[in-house]
Amino acid sequence: MSSLFRLQLGHELRKLFARKRTYIGFGAFVLVEALVLFLVNLPKPRSHFRRLIEQNGYGFDEYFSGLTLALLMVMWTTFLLGALYLALVAGDVVSKEVEEGTLRMILCRPVSRARIVALKYLACIVYTFVLVLFIGLSALAAGIAYRGFGGLFVFAPMEHIVALHAAWPGLERYLGALALLALSLTSVTSLGLMLSCFNMKPAAATIVTLSVIFLDSIFRNIPYFESLQPWFITTHMGAWLHVFTPFIPWSRLCEDYAYLLALDATFVIVGFAAFQRRDFKA
Amino acid sequence: MIRLNNLSKNFRGRPALIDLSLEIARGEIFGLLGHNGAGKSTTFGLILGQLYPTAGEAFIRDISVQRDRMKALKGVGAIFETPGFYDYLSGWNNLRIFTSYSGQVKDAEITETVKFVGLENRIHDPVRVYSHGMRQRLALAQALLPRPDVVLLDEPAEGLDPEGIHEMRQLILQLNSEHGMTVLLSSHLLSEVEQLCDRIAILNSGRLVFQGRWSELAKNENRFRIKVDDWQAAISVIEKCGAAILDTGIVQPRGEIADVVAALVLAGRRVYAVEPLKQSLEELYLGAVAAE
Repeated sequence: MSSLFRLQLGHELRKLFARKRTYIGFGAFVLVEALVLFLVNLPKPRSHFRRLIEQNGYGFDEYFSGLTLALLMVMWTTFLLGALYLALVAGDVVSKEVEEGTLRMILCRPVSRARIVALKYLACIVYTFVLVLFIGLSALAAGIAYRGFGGLFVFAPMEHIVALHAAWPGLERYLGALALLALSLTSVTSLGLMLSCFNMKPAAATIVTLSVIFLDSIFRNIPYFESLQPWFITTHMGAWLHVFTPFIPWSRLCEDYAYLLALDATFVIVGFAAFQRRDFKA
Repeated sequence: MIRLNNLSKNFRGRPALIDLSLEIARGEIFGLLGHNGAGKSTTFGLILGQLYPTAGEAFIRDISVQRDRMKALKGVGAIFETPGFYDYLSGWNNLRIFTSYSGQVKDAEITETVKFVGLENRIHDPVRVYSHGMRQRLALAQALLPRPDVVLLDEPAEGLDPEGIHEMRQLILQLNSEHGMTVLLSSHLLSEVEQLCDRIAILNSGRLVFQGRWSELAKNENRFRIKVDDWQAAISVIEKCGAAILDTGIVQPRGEIADVVAALVLAGRRVYAVEPLKQSLEELYLGAVAAE
């Protein structure tokens, strides 16, 4: 990576991270995490978890730990807000600059359109990873502060996963899962960026991205479409949870992420082709 | 320096620019005139490679923008009617971001340019608090970084107060005279173009209706204001010379004005002044558009 490319990427990241919206968004994630923490600790859900853990022959106090709570917070927060927020950021990344006229200012300069798309995509990917890291670490801090460090109990009925891990191996899996979760969410980012490259308003790019992800998720859960599950994006996006199964299904993980990476590449290529062909006028 | 070869652009089948050919010499200030929607901004977009032409080609330093945009745009600066900035960032950071797309520009060069446009006291403020004039200055600063040899200015004085317009004009003249920059200026402020430009092109509904010097546009006018001791007595003498009287004291001779003056003197009239009348830019512009 040339020093000029690094400089330009730094500026792209500055543009993303200097917005007030970024910090409002991060604040919203912390609020949702706090809400999840509060709800999970209400008597009914708590007794539900007690039953589940004790049914497996383990102690509730050891496994209803900060790590378990952190994972619950991450699962719910990303489900409720992750896609929304990333669609908002990626859907804006090109179309907002077109709307505000800053892209025309950039296009006065001797820079290729391919480089502009590459810079914006990379900035969005970095943003996705930073966001997931923030969600994961803030959830972990909140969970540990509330219940202390301990074993990890994983309950993900949609993925048919019920698993228990000791504290340190559990933490390792938790951190690995965060990396894979970020990789899963890059599909939302890539889709948002692709739509943003077309001649449409930023809000339209965001709404279409969200619609695709939510419709995909809804259809995936309709029994009638069960045979089509391997074709849904969200099926593969949920693969990060398989890190928590007692024996990690590496081949399945590779297959899922190969699918998602191919999809991401397709989104980016289509987006670039649209961006390359576009006329930019006032 | 800039050459446009039969450039045409259609938007959804509607022609926005039709077969435009222009040549702008090195070091020239060239004015592009036209009403809103005449095709000025489309021409800028095509020169900068932001729009793809339906036909034709644009060249900067004999390099085709359409074939090698990156090479052609080296050393080109531009500003638009409504320049876009990252309002939540400072003017300084905006300059750093935009200039990074042209290569690495030293802080000292940015500082010097900021001083040149007179924005040094506010450059670290967020752009959202800038006045319109300050935004235009910032736009000019970004167009001048890194030092270009061609600047394209699309309505640079748009929205500025008279003082701002004067300052912008002085800056453009300074850039041209001191740094030898070639300037392509589009405006619908006719007086602005009149004071700045050596040559002009007039666009009307996407078509070029005139290209050349002011003097060429006005060359057939041949109108004079004559001041004599007795206008009523002079009328018959002037008419005998075959000259037309357009208004009190305004004469359009068939041949040379010297013949009319000689006839007046021979008839005993005292001629105090003979002044050639130039059409205003507005009259020329409206005339050219109306002729089209």
